[in-house]
Amino acid sequence: MRYFRLNSELSRKSKVESKKCRSLATGFCCVLVSLLLFTNCKSYYRNLRPGSGDVNCVRQFSPRFTNTLYSAIIDVTKHHFSGILFFKLMPDSSTRIVFTNEIGVKFFDFAFSKDGTFTKYYLLPKMDKKVVVNALRSDLRLALLRPDLSEAKVFTDDGYTYITLPDKSGNDHYITQGCEKLVRIEKASKRKPVVVVQMLNYINGVPDSIDVLHKNFKFHIALKRVER
Amino acid sequence: MQLQAQYAGYKQVTNTEDFKKQFSKAAQGTQSIQCDFVQDKNLSMMADKIVSTGKFWFKRDNKVRMEYEKPTYYLLVINGSNIKTKDSQKENKVSAKSNKVFEQVNQMMIDCVQGTALDNKSFSTRLFENGQNYMVELTPLAKSLQGIFKSINLTVDKKDYSVVKMDMLEQSGDNTVISFLHKQMNVNIPDAVFSVK
Repeated sequence: MRYFRLNSELSRKSKVESKKCRSLATGFCCVLVSLLLFTNCKSYYRNLRPGSGDVNCVRQFSPRFTNTLYSAIIDVTKHHFSGILFFKLMPDSSTRIVFTNEIGVKFFDFAFSKDGTFTKYYLLPKMDKKVVVNALRSDLRLALLRPDLSEAKVFTDDGYTYITLPDKSGNDHYITQGCEKLVRIEKASKRKPVVVVQMLNYINGVPDSIDVLHKNFKFHIALKRVER
Repeated sequence: MQLQAQYAGYKQVTNTEDFKKQFSKAAQGTQSIQCDFVQDKNLSMMADKIVSTGKFWFKRDNKVRMEYEKPTYYLLVINGSNIKTKDSQKENKVSAKSNKVFEQVNQMMIDCVQGTALDNKSFSTRLFENGQNYMVELTPLAKSLQGIFKSINLTVDKKDYSVVKMDMLEQSGDNTVISFLHKQMNVNIPDAVFSVK
């Protein structure tokens, strides 16, 4: 009899605990979902405040490529490419960009004219897909850092100066420290960075290393300057 | 009728048998080669070139090692059907059998140093000569290679029938010339040099 009473008591307690657990679990889930939603909805750029300054100051960070070689590593999804990336300033002021592997097989040959017009001279047939061309064009354009600043605005956040340029799907942010040092460039959606470009250790107007990292899928370009 | 390339200073050799014999005979006597190389990547539209330098090793049978030192490090080792590549970040091992382009390039490189380049079934061949050299023109037959190379031309020294340079001509008009310098023939090269493990 005592056994049944104990059992019934345990069963009642268990139901209460179970209810509590369910309620706790539901609560936890609600908090988690809210947090996730909150985090997802919260813009990475929510603290940007309008600032002042000359947007054109960012032009000083545009690399002054003449005929510059970089050792290049490109990782795209599961594919790994290495080779040499060559930037050359042409007599018509366009910049030609060629990527070959070490053995000399050319992967691509692109150009950006002085006014920013893009030309694809060559892309290895196996790589010649619209999505590849668009990604490379966009990344190289960011690294050349020759934006049309007519619609650019200045913002500040936590000591950084953002020179922000609207584009079709979001903004390009050129982030500096008082426009004295280029911290990074971000191609962003409305809420978060999609591509982050870092150009470090400028020597005679040319960065010693360039790093382009895509946040939405595995696509990473790492360039390290080498002597000719 | 398709126009075929001619080369300044060279005339075509129609009877290739004598060359085949001599090239093969010289190659048979070559157990190993150790040399430096200079690679000129000529970018026709840019009127510029990228120069790379490094070291080359060959050992019978089917062993090749190319180690690029400048402007950037890169290692390519071919040992039979196994290929190892290594750049500044990553090492990669593949079987040439798993990739047709690799297999064809692998076979072509081996044929060049083993004197069997004219017998390679992946290419159609023509032979040219001038006073000092022969030139073997290898035109890829497979579409996979045709997309990359218009032809691969080997310059062979008439004195000793050794390959002096390899010129890879691309469809775009660019080309890559690898010149082999300071050749040491039949020196002892440890097998470990060609390790693909």
